[in-house]
Amino acid sequence: MANAYLSGLAAIAPELVLTGTALAALVFDLVTKGRDSRRVGYLALGGLALTSLLLIGQWGEPPRTVLGMVTVDQFGNFFKLFTCASLAAVVVFVLNDRRERRHGIGEYYFLLLGAAVGVFFMVSTNNLLLLMLGLELLSLASYSLAGFHKGDRKSAEAAMKYVVFGGLSAGIMLYGISLLYGLTGTIDLAEMASADGSGHPAGLAGQLAQNPIPVAVAVVLILAGFAYKVSLVPFHFWTPDVYEGAPTPVTTFLAVGSKAAGFGALLRFVGALFVREDVQDTVRAYGERVGLLIAILAAVTMTVGNLSALRQRSLKRMLAFSSIAHAGYVMIGVAAMSAGGFEAAMYYLAAYYFMNLGAFGFLLYFEGVTSSDDIDGLKGLGWRAPLVSIAMVVFLVSLTGLPPTVGFYGKYLLFQEGVAANLIWLVVIAGLNSVISLFYYFRVVRTLFLSKPAEREVAPQPLFVGLLAALGVATVFFALYTAPLVDWARRSMDLLWASSG
Amino acid sequence: MGVGAYVAVSAALFALGVVCIIARRNILYVLMGIEMILNAANINFVAFNRFGGDGLDGRMFAIFTIILAAAEAAVALAIVLNVFHLFDSIKPSDVDLMRE
Repeated sequence: MANAYLSGLAAIAPELVLTGTALAALVFDLVTKGRDSRRVGYLALGGLALTSLLLIGQWGEPPRTVLGMVTVDQFGNFFKLFTCASLAAVVVFVLNDRRERRHGIGEYYFLLLGAAVGVFFMVSTNNLLLLMLGLELLSLASYSLAGFHKGDRKSAEAAMKYVVFGGLSAGIMLYGISLLYGLTGTIDLAEMASADGSGHPAGLAGQLAQNPIPVAVAVVLILAGFAYKVSLVPFHFWTPDVYEGAPTPVTTFLAVGSKAAGFGALLRFVGALFVREDVQDTVRAYGERVGLLIAILAAVTMTVGNLSALRQRSLKRMLAFSSIAHAGYVMIGVAAMSAGGFEAAMYYLAAYYFMNLGAFGFLLYFEGVTSSDDIDGLKGLGWRAPLVSIAMVVFLVSLTGLPPTVGFYGKYLLFQEGVAANLIWLVVIAGLNSVISLFYYFRVVRTLFLSKPAEREVAPQPLFVGLLAALGVATVFFALYTAPLVDWARRSMDLLWASSG
Repeated sequence: MGVGAYVAVSAALFALGVVCIIARRNILYVLMGIEMILNAANINFVAFNRFGGDGLDGRMFAIFTIILAAAEAAVALAIVLNVFHLFDSIKPSDVDLMRE
């Protein structure tokens, strides 16, 4: 027993290291009385690097469940490494943010790393209690981060809207979980879906036959909670305001790290409940109907996101709506309810990491230069800061979904899986949406290069510009050489194996 | 009294919580509405554990939900206090700079 406990602790070593780093950042800032704000950032980067190394050390290990509820598998590792990578980029953003106040930087990193610990647990469990706790740890840290600029009215408003919508959706999700628990008698997703309906309580298969309406209500309520986290229409109202009001590095974390985490938990939820190998046939058939509901949400989400983005004058707000639209694209893979669909969704999330992180990095750079996020302020910046602007063009081409970029290959995979799952109408809508998105993405390109250059000094930021250039190169490189990311997504499908506990 | 009575109470509490939030008269009402929804879920967890499942899963869940509610209230009230300092109001309709 003691041995099992110790080996369980060894399996969650990455989580422990990350928690330790979060506390260390807080204490370090306290001890140095805030004089050494850059060092705290380097400390956070070091902790993230160590965590990533430990995660890579778990490469290829068979899936297992430790401490009764934490599932350690390659699927979880994908999202954990993703979180580490996005958080490391966010830390570099914070270090290069000219508008970031230096006071209380320890709390800033503490909250960011704490949010990451929440992500780690929510993507690696079939247990609804741990899923909920991880989700709330992420949410509570995000609320505080959104309002981190305490004297800024927009930041305060963002935090308030976030906490209200977040609290509501967490409550709705929790209520759904309580119903599902009452129906199936367990809080473990895998047990729910694999019970054959003869025992007592009857498992999901039995309840689908006896109580179809309460099951539907429970599933819809829980999906609503996820839909909020990944900002699907009609649960997206908070997104533009929160993204606009929050400090830009926090916005980046919300748009990339937090959104991917929401998808990780959502894939785990639908995967364990409806798609896994040992799921009962009636439950699997029900899952396909849930997939249709998700497909409708996806179609509405991408259309509303793209049409709203057309009207925006602020680059930050435009990117917020663009991230809503991209959540819609990823949902095609979820709606397919198959291993192939999940792989495509995960590849697209990896592509989204490069292109969206790059776009938000450009936004931060541009805010540092002009002190505003108005697209008109971009005029002629392409001639002043060519390297960063060319990288931005690459990100925008990729976000539109044109070759030769990861965004194109990701959409290709998603559309292929959508067709394979008989969702051709959804693929057509997604294709039309990509055309709409061309208009607002290329308005930015046009403003960058086709306008008269404004007289403006651009101070050099070598580390930051280097990061943006690297992201730009990666955006093209992983499209020409797709094997690593595709293989990685395929290896992560161990969440669907019957033996993964 | 069967499990049905408990579910009826929790469903009513849930509905009241949602109405409280949608009315949006005052941000504190909204926070109270959220607490009502969380407690509606708690009633469900405890009742279902008592009448149905073996083990203590439901009761455990309820205890953690109480902790969650407390943590969320702490963060939310800190944010609302900051909003009150900056806007001199806690009506959601007054706190609306970003809308186009």
